[in-house]
Amino acid sequence: MARLYAEEMVLNMGPQHPSTHGVLRLKLTTDGEIVSHIEPVIGYLHRSFEKHAENLEYQMVTPFTGRCDYLAAMGSEHGYAMAVEKMMGIELPERVEYLRVIFAELQRIASHLVAVGTFGLDVGAITPFIYCFRERELILDLFEMASGARLLYNYIWIGGLAHDVPPGFVEKTYEFLDNFEKRVAEYNQILSGNKIFIERAADIGVMTPEVAINYGVTGPSLRASGVNIDIRRTQPYSIYDRFEFDVPLGEGAQGTVGDSWDRYYVRVLEMQESAKIVRQALDQLPVEGDVQAAVPRRIRPPKGEIYFRSENPRGELGYYIVSDGKNVPVRVKMRSPAFSNLSVINEIGHGWMISDVIAILGSLDIVLGEIDR
Amino acid sequence: MIQSLANWILSFDILSGMGISIAWSLSLFIVAALIFVFVAANAIVLVYIERKVSAFMQVRLGPMRVGKFGTLQTVADALKLLQKEDIIPDKADKILFTIGPWIILVASVVTFAAIPFSDTLLAANMNIGLFYVVSISSIVVLGIVMAGWASNNKWSLYGAMRSAAQIISYEIPVGITLISVVAVVGSLNLQTIIESQAGVGNLFHWIPIPLPNWYIFHSPFLFVAAFVYLIGATAEINRTPFDIPESESELVAGFMTEFSGLRWALFFLSEYANATLVAFLVSIVFLGGWQSPFANYEGVQIGFLVISLFAIMWTIFVKVKTKRLSFYPLGLSIIITLSAWLFPGFAIWLASPGLFWMLMKVASIIFLLMWFRWTFPRLRVDQLMYVSWKVILPLSLINLMGVAVWMWLSGEIQF
Amino acid sequence: MIVTEQEIYSSLSTKFGESIGDFITEETFNPTVLVKAGTLADVCTYLKESESLQFDSLMSLSGHDQDGESELSVIYHLYSTVLDHYCTLKTFVDREEAVIASVANIYRTADWHEREAYDLYGITFTGHPDLKRILLEEDWEGYPLRKDYVAAEFYRGMRIEKVK
Repeated sequence: MARLYAEEMVLNMGPQHPSTHGVLRLKLTTDGEIVSHIEPVIGYLHRSFEKHAENLEYQMVTPFTGRCDYLAAMGSEHGYAMAVEKMMGIELPERVEYLRVIFAELQRIASHLVAVGTFGLDVGAITPFIYCFRERELILDLFEMASGARLLYNYIWIGGLAHDVPPGFVEKTYEFLDNFEKRVAEYNQILSGNKIFIERAADIGVMTPEVAINYGVTGPSLRASGVNIDIRRTQPYSIYDRFEFDVPLGEGAQGTVGDSWDRYYVRVLEMQESAKIVRQALDQLPVEGDVQAAVPRRIRPPKGEIYFRSENPRGELGYYIVSDGKNVPVRVKMRSPAFSNLSVINEIGHGWMISDVIAILGSLDIVLGEIDR
Repeated sequence: MIQSLANWILSFDILSGMGISIAWSLSLFIVAALIFVFVAANAIVLVYIERKVSAFMQVRLGPMRVGKFGTLQTVADALKLLQKEDIIPDKADKILFTIGPWIILVASVVTFAAIPFSDTLLAANMNIGLFYVVSISSIVVLGIVMAGWASNNKWSLYGAMRSAAQIISYEIPVGITLISVVAVVGSLNLQTIIESQAGVGNLFHWIPIPLPNWYIFHSPFLFVAAFVYLIGATAEINRTPFDIPESESELVAGFMTEFSGLRWALFFLSEYANATLVAFLVSIVFLGGWQSPFANYEGVQIGFLVISLFAIMWTIFVKVKTKRLSFYPLGLSIIITLSAWLFPGFAIWLASPGLFWMLMKVASIIFLLMWFRWTFPRLRVDQLMYVSWKVILPLSLINLMGVAVWMWLSGEIQF
Repeated sequence: MIVTEQEIYSSLSTKFGESIGDFITEETFNPTVLVKAGTLADVCTYLKESESLQFDSLMSLSGHDQDGESELSVIYHLYSTVLDHYCTLKTFVDREEAVIASVANIYRTADWHEREAYDLYGITFTGHPDLKRILLEEDWEGYPLRKDYVAAEFYRGMRIEKVK
């Protein structure tokens, strides 16, 4: 009589897949439906950003930074500009600082809308995705008014902005904010409280604070585990210390602290906080000021190196820049948050079913552009 | 119906020469063709309706370019699918790959032979009609597993296995809820089930609200049974929130991944045929089939008056809340009420049973199914099983016993 | 209590003596401690487990090639979530024999960061659980981020275009 033997199946969630948020390959070793090991294979979108940056002048690197994290391009450009400005010791006019905060926070809202919408899409709720993108279109209209582009801007330059915002921008942003705060209630109604959604997301992929910190997870995924670290608070940059906002933490409202539902809900709350910040910035926006006043003619940072961190929608975006006095950097390393966020997936994802792995991946909110650079 | 069609053919002088058996076979063929045409046309219309309904729920427009308001979109899609290259993967099992989709389609279409569309339109008046429908529609599982296995693709296999587990688990509660209704009627004949729901009676037998005598209003147990059946049937036809076998975001297209062109069209056809079948069964068994909800034409007029009242209240509510005048509900209901009062013939036609009411009920249930699909996320496969075995099944058993007790209390049966 | 970088440097040099090099404060915005390559794992373990320091988070690990001839270097940026202070370490490794102790078992962040440094600079980390290329293909030749990197002519039969 033949012996029946069971072996584990290696399943490939290949580079082309509707749910892997970009070209990511996950090698799943499964026993039936339970996944015992996940190995992410990345590098399909590697465009050698760091090598390019070593051959371009400092101001020419700015568009490249946007293309790495294409869903939060303003954040990437902002971090880079601040790093170089700190090296050069540039003092920025007030209007520039306020406008930069407005754009960074609007970008945070836009990026979290994508994260929330695609997370719903991954667990099967197709309609909230469309609603989130409806709001995002309004934000992209604002960006188009200011910079001329919807997704990749080249707008936040070293020392200032490319050009000032057109008249009518402030009114349109107020209009958007008034509309937006009601919409978040809609998302909570249709998705956050939905019993089926809670069953799919709560208690799934619990990440303890120790695991999160050890793996280098930052941003909303870390705060969902209860760790109160937000770079805008711990190491305030730009003018963030002038605004009042809360830092939402995961509390395990529907399950355990640090599960996928927490990671999703922290993002929903952060959108509301960002809207608050934008409103305060608009109220305090100085009317006068030339946004190009501090842009240096020649960007030649003095010899040295700097590691500058800023809070990207996905976490801690770090730029390690080494300069030797010329107008071309020696080294630009982008420490992207999604790179470390993705590395934790085996730790929190093994032992769950395939559908749960997809939910966990969705809740981590990765963008392959910034993982692969 | 086949007999009457055969008689009608023989009634022509030219054709009266052919023997009865030839006329019979000819009418058989015509009826079968009609059913198939109905299923195909139904799928074409439903694809368009689904796209439009989903679009409106998602604050967008849906197909608008092909034909006025996009009505010819499905025709364009069908033409496109028909001329696609037929790709069979190299290591796929060719025989199973070919016949898998056909089995699903045939199983779905054949069940329509027992469905009464109206009091005269019924292809085969079987006295085991309900049993026939439920058992033949289970053959769909065979086709799905064949399709998933023959694709030589681990993802398709996953989808097929999940689907098989899901459909088999949900057969039982579905069957038991239908048996609760059969216990009340005493017959498996679908036509009899509908005929026994004629007239107007009280809600739940004792509450004095005049409602049609449909089984959903028969007792609280059958009321619950209707929803249990609806949930089970949504799982049977692999629709969200139970569409794990074909979940787009996880398995690309589940067991349908490797099929392209005409074979894909067959899957689509059978999915909508199944959905229509389920809607028909709900309408027949619980909602009175082709019976009209109004007893006589006065009922129609009073009913529409009540609807107009609701429409007026709704318009006022919308105006207060959003300061917009919502014209269509009010206008539509006023027009219909006026025509019911001014043209009694219209009211009499509405009060009489027939194909119109059957299609109305089927359309509402299909709209409900579409509403589910675009609102809810999908359940994971073990949660699905949990719902089936630990929630729906005990509920349906309790319903069965409850119906028996109810019938004894309300005097319908005596011991 | 928050310790300054100077205090961190003094406590490290008292503990490890010879292995700790200079404390660089000029030409950098993050005061850096130079560490010898072989003792890096011990230094990091001490930094993580010491009561007064508690550096539990490795923010970034990057390789660096200043010009095409001198030694390669690896820079570690550490942060303590508990005590809210920062530390930067730097080690130099030889170009030909770029070997350094891995900290992947101490900080799991370093797992992928070290694979990236290996992939792009050719620095081998001993003790790493699974050191293989991460961003480039497994069979790619060469270490692109080095300043003296020259791309091969062909890769798997496809010509590699020269960029002017």
